[in-house]
Amino acid sequence: MAEEESHLEEFEQIDFLRDRHVRFFRRTLQVLPERYASLETTRLTIIFFALSGLDVLDALDVIDRNTMIDWIYSLQVMPTEDESNLSRCGFRGSSHIGIPYSMKGPGVFHPYDSGHVAMTYTGLCSLLILGDDLSRVNKKACLAGLRALQLEDGSFYAVPEGSENDIRFIYCAASICYILDDWSGMDIEKAIDYIRGSLTYDNGFGQGAGRESHGGWTYCAIASLCLMGRLEEALSQRELDRIRRWCVMRQQNGFHGRPNKPVDTCYSFWVGATLELLNVFQYTNFDKNRSFILSTQDWLVGGFAKWPDSHPDPLHAYLGLCGLSLIGEPDLRKVHPALNITQRAFEHLQQLQQTWRDSSDGGCSGQH
Amino acid sequence: MSGLEETSNDLLKVKRDQELDADADEELEDDFLVDSTRYLFYRERKEWADLEPVPQDDGPNPVVKIAYSEKFSDVFDYFRALLKTDERSERALALTAEAIELNAANYTVWHYRRVLLQSLSKDLREEMRYITDIIEEQPKNYQVWHHRRMVVEWLNDPSKELDFIADILSQDAKNYHAWQHRQWVIQEYKLWDNELEFVETLLEEDVRNNSAWNQRHFVISQTTGFSDPVVVEREIQYCLNQIKKAPHNESAWNYLKGMLQDRGLSTQPGLLERVQELKETHCSPYLLAFLFDCYEDALENSTEEEQKGTLEMALEICQLLAEEKDTIRREYWRFLGRSLKKKYGNFVEPTADAQEPPASVPGHQESS
Repeated sequence: MAEEESHLEEFEQIDFLRDRHVRFFRRTLQVLPERYASLETTRLTIIFFALSGLDVLDALDVIDRNTMIDWIYSLQVMPTEDESNLSRCGFRGSSHIGIPYSMKGPGVFHPYDSGHVAMTYTGLCSLLILGDDLSRVNKKACLAGLRALQLEDGSFYAVPEGSENDIRFIYCAASICYILDDWSGMDIEKAIDYIRGSLTYDNGFGQGAGRESHGGWTYCAIASLCLMGRLEEALSQRELDRIRRWCVMRQQNGFHGRPNKPVDTCYSFWVGATLELLNVFQYTNFDKNRSFILSTQDWLVGGFAKWPDSHPDPLHAYLGLCGLSLIGEPDLRKVHPALNITQRAFEHLQQLQQTWRDSSDGGCSGQH
Repeated sequence: MSGLEETSNDLLKVKRDQELDADADEELEDDFLVDSTRYLFYRERKEWADLEPVPQDDGPNPVVKIAYSEKFSDVFDYFRALLKTDERSERALALTAEAIELNAANYTVWHYRRVLLQSLSKDLREEMRYITDIIEEQPKNYQVWHHRRMVVEWLNDPSKELDFIADILSQDAKNYHAWQHRQWVIQEYKLWDNELEFVETLLEEDVRNNSAWNQRHFVISQTTGFSDPVVVEREIQYCLNQIKKAPHNESAWNYLKGMLQDRGLSTQPGLLERVQELKETHCSPYLLAFLFDCYEDALENSTEEEQKGTLEMALEICQLLAEEKDTIRREYWRFLGRSLKKKYGNFVEPTADAQEPPASVPGHQESS
């Protein structure tokens, strides 16, 4: 590492301020001011950013795991006694609907209560990060809720009431199926059709057919195919090489998300992880990437922002860390590029899944 | 908590900063000589006395709790009350507008509003005016665009859409939501006629607008298509003209390559020569990468004799890119050079070179 440090003296010597970031995430987990109101329905994703961020920093010891696990389970939409709401199950983003706090079932009927696919995904990840065994997850209900969200064209809604539908939610769905080790939650072939249909003329992926190629959606496409175990089936070698080229061209110093757009810290992960999944991340310029990410570090309050001299936020703080982890920043845990949790949390999942498979009645692993 | 920034629109932050909180309300009451009505909480309003407010319940240990003002909590306590009984009334509709003003990202509020609009048979043209205003204020919010789409569908009237989207794009020419909505409207209602002209106007304003290039491809592929050689030649000419004006433009090169890559870059008569000419006066990493791709395509389709010369030219380009013209991607260009040599270079003396990457790295497989 000494060589790397002296090389860095050519650039401004920027230190990675680990302790500030730990404090940033811990504060995030406590209270946010009212101007964060727009995050209310997505609070579970914010918890995920903070918890996974602390995990990457190897600083989870400060967390009161059990109370946090309980709070996450209180967000699970439980089936009612007659199971009439199964297609609406999953995890909520927060308590904003007004369901009374409860960590267990049966569910209470409410005309507007339902899960959100991104919350189910980040909820499951957060539980894994906290070391939970998912035994209180109603897998059957989650998978039923998931099936109800998929459209004919293979994409997913976020919520059963309807919403926009696109590739982001395919990624969430694939992650959920992967974690629960049960692909009955989705029609894989249709999802692959939608993903392939989102491949653009310039060899990235848009949010759907015809739309502009974009680093975030490219990540969703490739990571989904990897989780499904279908990357090389769904895409030819020629296509994969072209996609590699599109991704590699996103590096300017850090990475941007679309050609001719400014660089933004979060793409160091979205594009970086995609390149890692495609086995060519090693050919990117680590120094310039690192310098850019650190230029967006807030030395006072911690965290990272999308650009230098901007305010940090939980998403960029987390993805900035993941971007640094990908290039091997010392003292950061490795991140599983497709699932976007640490390798440590991933290994915990693998052990859990082994337990499920070993259990005599086949447990909840379903068809495989 | 200074420095923490919400992840949504800055305008929302400004609005909130200007909003009266409970304390300011009281101060202003003393100074407010013109209008003596002060803001009444819903819990104080006679016409709401029949409803029991429903607070948010995060249990004993809330996580990522947002500290709402009294006004905010009051509005949403009554929103939750309305939801619980699924009340369908004018007062409910009016409240959703207040809730939206406080948090336009709450998708449940929008869904409930849509339910009410239909239940009460409200004037959807008025709703169009309403949603137009909201999107102008918060153009990067998913929920508002989805709501607009629903209203357009109900009215089955897209007549305002193209002008409206053009206006949003005049403020941010790359707004992904706007482009997505535009594509949906055009495809759904077959409004192709003037779109190419619109794209050209935007490209004249900013030839590096990647969203506009994408739209160009979208329009042509869905109208004339790219099989007609007249269309292809016209588009090649268009690209080369734009490149002459602004050589360092990835979007133009991506478009050129994307249009031709599946039929074989090297098979387009005269193209290689035109690009080689441009290399002298309008060089860029993208031009060189395009040449490399032409040579690679030629290699696939040429005899062994022809291959030797082409391979040398391709490797020269790799070296030029790696050493001089695109150094940030040095390792990637070297990797491509190695891969090409391995594939086609059996008759060439192996040069002492950098380490071979591990065999599992894709790109070394037979072409598909």
